[in-house]
Amino acid sequence: MKILCVCGLGQGTSLILRMNVETVLSELGIEADVDNTDVSSATSERADFIITSNELAQSLEDHAGKILIVNNYFDLTEIKQVLGGCIN
Amino acid sequence: MEVLTWIANNIFGVPAFLLGIIVLMGLMLQKKTVSQTVSGVFKAMIGFLIINAGAGIITGALNIFQPLWAEVFGLKAADLGEFMGQTAFNVKFGSAVTLAMFLGFLINVLLARFTRFKYIYLTGHMMFWTTTIFAGIIVEAVGAENVSNVKLIAFLAIFMGLYWTFQPALVQPFMRKVTGGNTIALGHTSAIVAILAALLGKIFGNKANDTEKIKLPKGLEFLRDSNVITALTMGVLFFVGAVIISFKGSVGSEELIAQAAGQNFPMYSIIQSFTFAGGIAVVLLGVKMFISEIVPAFNGIAKKIVPGAIPALDAPVVFTFAPNAVIIGFLGAFAGALIWLVVLGNTVAYVFVPTMIVLFFHGATAGVFGNSTGGVRGALIGGFVTATIVAWGQYIMVHFLNATTIPDTAMWAADSDMFVLGPIVKALAHLFF
Repeated sequence: MKILCVCGLGQGTSLILRMNVETVLSELGIEADVDNTDVSSATSERADFIITSNELAQSLEDHAGKILIVNNYFDLTEIKQVLGGCIN
Repeated sequence: MEVLTWIANNIFGVPAFLLGIIVLMGLMLQKKTVSQTVSGVFKAMIGFLIINAGAGIITGALNIFQPLWAEVFGLKAADLGEFMGQTAFNVKFGSAVTLAMFLGFLINVLLARFTRFKYIYLTGHMMFWTTTIFAGIIVEAVGAENVSNVKLIAFLAIFMGLYWTFQPALVQPFMRKVTGGNTIALGHTSAIVAILAALLGKIFGNKANDTEKIKLPKGLEFLRDSNVITALTMGVLFFVGAVIISFKGSVGSEELIAQAAGQNFPMYSIIQSFTFAGGIAVVLLGVKMFISEIVPAFNGIAKKIVPGAIPALDAPVVFTFAPNAVIIGFLGAFAGALIWLVVLGNTVAYVFVPTMIVLFFHGATAGVFGNSTGGVRGALIGGFVTATIVAWGQYIMVHFLNATTIPDTAMWAADSDMFVLGPIVKALAHLFF
């Protein structure tokens, strides 16, 4: 399973999101390949799930992967809710 | 003894290897598998080397942009002159920068542990760029031949450690207004424009006129794509400049047109602008790769040593709190940038490169903070203040502070806090080196 964390520039915010997603996944006992990138590169990268903010989600509507929206990248509870709901 | 010297020169002295070792330690501390460790170390090293490749592309395109607009404004040979460039600078001082980042981070952690300023700076790429630019200023001030590596590392580590701890603290009172809480802090070099926007918004703005009450047109999402917006702006600027040159008919114009080797000059210029955008995309890919390995390691260390730490995060974390303010702040910054481009060209004979990435992220952040105290007017003022600091700051940074070291990097990666603190770093460099 491949999860792609996306932000505007691919440098800071998507990395924070990726670290938190990895933490939540290990808590939930789920194994996945998690990567982070910018919205520009995300359109051409393959992924099962894309996690990003509301504004950026609109640019990725055509992506084959399922789009999951997280608004606060540092809120582990929100991430757990979103991931737990979709992957189980 | 010979072995130690050999190791110092050929391993620690080579930035990519030093970085690999730091990442290796970080991954082992996080108890990652062998496969993850090998992959992480290699990705960090490759990422760092990709930066050099990208820097070369950017310089090539900038070497056409500057003379082009200098000719438009009728300035005399306002080119960059002799300078080291990011690649050469990385080879000589990259290790110092990497070590200073790591030691500076440790100082941040210690300060957070033992004082009431419990902020841990986690914006890895800004750590890299800020340390690099300040290193460039010091080397420029002291002379590349005279600078002692040990002093450079020590000075940078302490200065950055202090900055990474106290910058978030200074912004926090305003950050609390924006986020409505105290769980995250701002760890970004737009701090000064965020603070100024919030203060000016309070004085001159109208808080009741909130940006989020406006309905902005839907089709503006492309503004969030940095490749698109950099190529678009630079494309327009290159094209307009090239068209003016095509009709100017001066000696300088003819020389510039000859560079296109027969291709239509405006078309050639558009390709150059897209090449510039491509160069930035390459550099950002490299930074992303190596920061992706360093920051988790830093985060792991910080979590163990500082209970109750407040993460100081990249600017976009505030964007979700006021998405319209993001656009309005950016538009204010963009308009201001165009005005300053003309003013700087016609007064101090400097061709300002409107760096879209900086103008977007800093203008947007200023917009959000300006809106929190002063509504729409606060956001616009924040954007304009951003453009002013960025335009004049870039001029001073490229022309004086980093003139013979890394003006190429300063032109697109240096930003607000670096511009404001740069002169202080230079003054301290003269004092201590």
